[in-house]
Amino acid sequence: MTLSAEPTATPHDAEPFADAVRRAQQGDVDAFETIYHASAPAVFAICRRMTGDDREARELVQDVFVRAWERLGTFRGESALATWLHRLTVNRVLESMRSSRRHAALIDGDESADAIGLESDQLDMRLDLDAALARLPAGARTVLVLHLEGFSHGEIARLTGIAAGTARAQLWRARRALARWLIP
Amino acid sequence: MSDSAHLTEAERQTLADGSMATRQARGLQAHLRACPSCAADVDRLRMIARRYGEPAPRDPVLAGLWPEIRSRIERRKVVPIPPAAASPRPAPSLRRSVLLIAGTAAGLAAAAVLWLRPARLGPGPVSDQVRARDSIQALVLVADSIRSYRDEAQVLLDRLELQRAMIRPEAMASIERDLGVIDRSIEELELAIQRDPRNPTLRQLLVSSYRQKVEVLKRVGNAG
Repeated sequence: MTLSAEPTATPHDAEPFADAVRRAQQGDVDAFETIYHASAPAVFAICRRMTGDDREARELVQDVFVRAWERLGTFRGESALATWLHRLTVNRVLESMRSSRRHAALIDGDESADAIGLESDQLDMRLDLDAALARLPAGARTVLVLHLEGFSHGEIARLTGIAAGTARAQLWRARRALARWLIP
Repeated sequence: MSDSAHLTEAERQTLADGSMATRQARGLQAHLRACPSCAADVDRLRMIARRYGEPAPRDPVLAGLWPEIRSRIERRKVVPIPPAAASPRPAPSLRRSVLLIAGTAAGLAAAAVLWLRPARLGPGPVSDQVRARDSIQALVLVADSIRSYRDEAQVLLDRLELQRAMIRPEAMASIERDLGVIDRSIEELELAIQRDPRNPTLRQLLVSSYRQKVEVLKRVGNAG
């Protein structure tokens, strides 16, 4: 299950990189570099938050932009480039998770709260949000990040291949754990 | 709300992420106003979304990733599919797409043959040395792309062989006919390149034909 190629446009989707996109679509790699430098931080943030691992996130960033280059011809400007890239990124990360061992964790909604430490009390040191996300198990982290990225319970269930009820339960547990870890 | 004095976990969570029905949420607002403990907890849960929305710290390594990305782009694909050749709307029939692609490739090849002869006669404003260097670099990149597409097409063809039994015979015949059109275009371009091996445009057209073949095979794979 992947996200549709291009979401519907919204009125505020002004495209700040229209010229760079047009030139990149004509094969101008330098124009694509402009897009990369402007968009990479947001793409990296999603990758890191979904994987909880800096090194893996950097590899995924590379994959996302290589794929974006290959598919740039299909970008019609009906949504913001950032939105298009966002979807491409989520799809790429989920694809990577499916092909790795974490898929088992993703579809296994029965990760015990004990085993994953979600019930532990506030940590000694105050974590930043990304570090706290990285502490979550893959399944719970994926569900929480997708939720925070604006996906509905139904969409999350479809994207991850788990039941909607399981997705909701993982979301609640993950959010509860983060609240416990992050708020003094 | 349960009989107990406080909101349930489900109520807190759905209030926090806004997934609770408006009417029910309105009913619980009175409790939140009267119960600092529940109000604080719901706010704690909401805080995660607020913190998530804050800009993430920039990774200083990101700028260093670009050379590798650029290298992968140039090594693997080189040219993105231009908007006109892409298939933006929900799938026209495979056959129509293939014929369109093959037609475009054949048209481009014919145009290139006509255009290249006069174009190669006179020297341009660029010095011969610079032109020679650029042309060698371009030939190397294009050769890499051709190899990469050829390999990818072979993998996809192997996969198609495995799927063959599951594809309706008439659909399979249509796919083979369409791939044949592209293969003929590839053969003609390869012959033209043998006659004019340093012609970069012919090589780009060959890349384009291989890319189209890969796209067609991928669509077949996706449809299966």
